[in-house]
Amino acid sequence: MTERILAPFSTIGRRAVALAAGIGRWGMLTAETFRSLRHVDVWGRLLLQQMAKIGLDSVPIAVFIAIFTGIVLSLQASYTFTGAVPLYFVGVLVGKTMMLELGPVLTGLALSGRVGANIAAEIGTMRVTEQIDALETMAYPPVAYLVLPRVLAGIIMFPVVTALAIAVGIGSGWLTALQLLDMSTPEFVRGLTLFFEPFDVTFAFIKATSFGFVVTTIGCLFGFHTRGGAEGVGTSTTQAVVVSSMSILVLDAFWAVTLL
Amino acid sequence: MSIQMNEVYKAFGDVRVLEGFSLEVEEGETLVVLGRSGSGKSVMLKHIVGLLLPDKGNVWVDGQQISNLPTKELYLLRRKVGYVFQFAALFDSMSVAENVGMGLERMKEFSREEIRDRVEECLTLVGLEGLSDRFPAELSGGQKKRAGIARAIAIRPKYLLYDEPTTGLDPLTKAVIDRLILRMNRELGVTGVVITHDMESAYRVGDRIAMLYGGRRRFLGTPDELRSTTDGVVKGFVEGRPELLENAS
Amino acid sequence: MNRTREALVGLVIVVAAVVTAVGVLWLQGATWGRPQVEMEAVFDEVGLVRSGNAVKLRGVQVGRVREITVDPAGDLVRVRFRIDEGVTLPDQPVVVLSPESLFGDWQAEIHPRTRFPRVRFPEPREADVLPGHALPDISQLTAAADEISETMLVLTERVGIAFSEDTAENIASLIDNIEDVTTQLATLVEQQAASFTEVTDDLRQATQGIGSAANQARVTLERVDGLLARDEVESTLQDLAGLTANLRGLSAEMDGTNREFRELAAQVESTFAKVEGMLEVVEAGDGSLGRLLHDPGMAEEMEGAVTELQLLLADIRENPRRYVRLSIF
Ligand SMILES: Nc1ncnc2c1ncn2[C@@H]1O[C@H](COP(=O)(O)OP(=O)(O)OP(=O)(O)O)[C@@H](O)[C@H]1O
Ligand SMILES: [Mg+2]
Repeated sequence: MTERILAPFSTIGRRAVALAAGIGRWGMLTAETFRSLRHVDVWGRLLLQQMAKIGLDSVPIAVFIAIFTGIVLSLQASYTFTGAVPLYFVGVLVGKTMMLELGPVLTGLALSGRVGANIAAEIGTMRVTEQIDALETMAYPPVAYLVLPRVLAGIIMFPVVTALAIAVGIGSGWLTALQLLDMSTPEFVRGLTLFFEPFDVTFAFIKATSFGFVVTTIGCLFGFHTRGGAEGVGTSTTQAVVVSSMSILVLDAFWAVTLL
Repeated sequence: MSIQMNEVYKAFGDVRVLEGFSLEVEEGETLVVLGRSGSGKSVMLKHIVGLLLPDKGNVWVDGQQISNLPTKELYLLRRKVGYVFQFAALFDSMSVAENVGMGLERMKEFSREEIRDRVEECLTLVGLEGLSDRFPAELSGGQKKRAGIARAIAIRPKYLLYDEPTTGLDPLTKAVIDRLILRMNRELGVTGVVITHDMESAYRVGDRIAMLYGGRRRFLGTPDELRSTTDGVVKGFVEGRPELLENAS
Repeated sequence: MNRTREALVGLVIVVAAVVTAVGVLWLQGATWGRPQVEMEAVFDEVGLVRSGNAVKLRGVQVGRVREITVDPAGDLVRVRFRIDEGVTLPDQPVVVLSPESLFGDWQAEIHPRTRFPRVRFPEPREADVLPGHALPDISQLTAAADEISETMLVLTERVGIAFSEDTAENIASLIDNIEDVTTQLATLVEQQAASFTEVTDDLRQATQGIGSAANQARVTLERVDGLLARDEVESTLQDLAGLTANLRGLSAEMDGTNREFRELAAQVESTFAKVEGMLEVVEAGDGSLGRLLHDPGMAEEMEGAVTELQLLLADIRENPRRYVRLSIF
């Protein structure tokens, strides 16, 4: 009887402990990642390769998302503003929303799927096939070799991809306003510049950088702690995507609270 | 002695694998370790390069105690050790040549050409000449295994640890690999630890043979001593007679 | 990893960096080397102007505000701005700051000083610095309206007691005052799109206030109509006093809820304008109250004011959405 009552609590307790352990492991991996900066000879040559894989290869999907986001923002803004609000506010909405929220977050979420899954699967496979052990025996520190180049590439390339996405999103919103909403370029641009502050761009970069850091570290974390063959790799990959997506949303709210 | 394990204990959760295992490998000898599948041979071998650390007891390699070695020195020590993984553990994002050259590149003592020549030489030694541009996914199981051996010997290590180097190879290739192990030992003075299930290989390459049983060392002796052993467990294993094993335990 | 990919990574980074840098500069209003001259103006205070706001001449943007600093002496605000080279300024140029739209952004307009005869501009010490003035925000205007209605209250009391030369002078200055405010309001309201925020209790109260004010005005009018027959001057004046008191209370309410009721304020101001028209008649005539009450135009104007108020109220009730601003962020 008491067991039945206590069961949900012990579940909560177990979950909490697991969560704390996960955060602890993440902290340790992150600390180790920064310590590994001294092994430039190991990660230096791999950085460019990872930047291509994480950044360059993500440009198409990010741009694709941004194009449609821009179109939808533009159309929905004009729909919402019927009547009372002047139409140039479409420019305000497209610009502000792309810069402050949708540009970084949608790019982050898309990349958490693409990059996070890729990293977790790759490192997870290396773990279960003893490739990480092999690295160790060949005197390559695995964190410096596998984690650091990916994390650095994420920190560098997420803002780059996000910047492109924002520019493309605003561009597509502008074209939509021009073609479908009967707005003029000066009108749209007026809205765009009306409330623009350089901090908007800083904010977008802060978000994108933190997303890049979180997605890559979480991908590496789940990859590193993979066990149990192909199935284990699958589980890690799924978890990496879920956890990094959630972290992006939590971080997004965190930055909004602390910086705005 | 160059490699020494002292009363090593290792458990994974409830699974107790090593329970007071001890072993000394003499400088320049090739020691074969026998044991049933799942008895903990691979676990034992991983302790020697510090991939696993003992729960209790200690491991000495080249005069240094592995478990409290600073990371930096551990990595320096590992450059003297070649490890042949049971399932090859080739890096699948790299070609065979890049795999074999990895350790050399890490040492930073060799030019690009030297590395290329050394890689070709090692691949020829294991009979993989001409496959250097293939990727691991394009190799058969036995080819992978041999590429793994080439990778381990490429750095000309002082110690070579082989985890079942001949399992799954045809008799001819098996003989080639055994000869390679002997050559490494005779010509380069390499100290070797060879895990195998194959008694023929064991007698061929082993200066001494040990057997791991129940988490401890059950036998250690020359091939001749092994042939004449009266221990039912060892005899049962070597001759493949389960009934002897049952009687003994 | 082949060369092309390496180059592509570099290219993507460069493109992103350039897009960001160019975008930020553009959105901040960089002039891309178009020659500009830097100018300065001094103000008593600058309202809500910030750096980056537009500088206009005859409604055309010719530059931007760059920097706003308080003069070390402490009694002036210095605003530095840049305008395109070769723009010819009017004679005796002054800079007037005002809201550009209802949505909070301000502008600096360059005008000839003669456009603002009544405004007292601070006199800059340096020759090449322009004098400037910030127009009041709407909330300030409602405060002014409050003041006016107070004066009117006093005035109507006095009319009741004795209509003298003194009173006529009072009226003259009052009318000047009202004229000023209503002109400012009119320009402002014209510039700005109609917009309101949520329909709150405050708005409901305010509309009720207008309603009862209008009601009272109508009663007054009816009395005025019958005035020729029944000599009820005394009570008419009392009603007028009540009306203005009501208006005063109303503008106090509006002040409390301030920016949201800008258009409402403008409408009420136009009611003041009608009352002002009525008083103008007093000024134009020989000063007797009898003439005032006999003038048929006055009654019409009064009625016009009431009708307008009633229309506004009806519109607010029927189309609240027109007065509801969407909150986007
Ligand atoms: N990382 C690990 N986590 C948990 N258990 C492990 C781990 N590695 C090995 N074990 C367990 O330790 C025991 C010994 O494994 P080991 O791989 O050493 O066997 P082995 O002697 O090499 O067998 P085989 O000849 O089949 O390779 C097995 O029961 C295995 O399940
Ligand atoms: Mg094994």
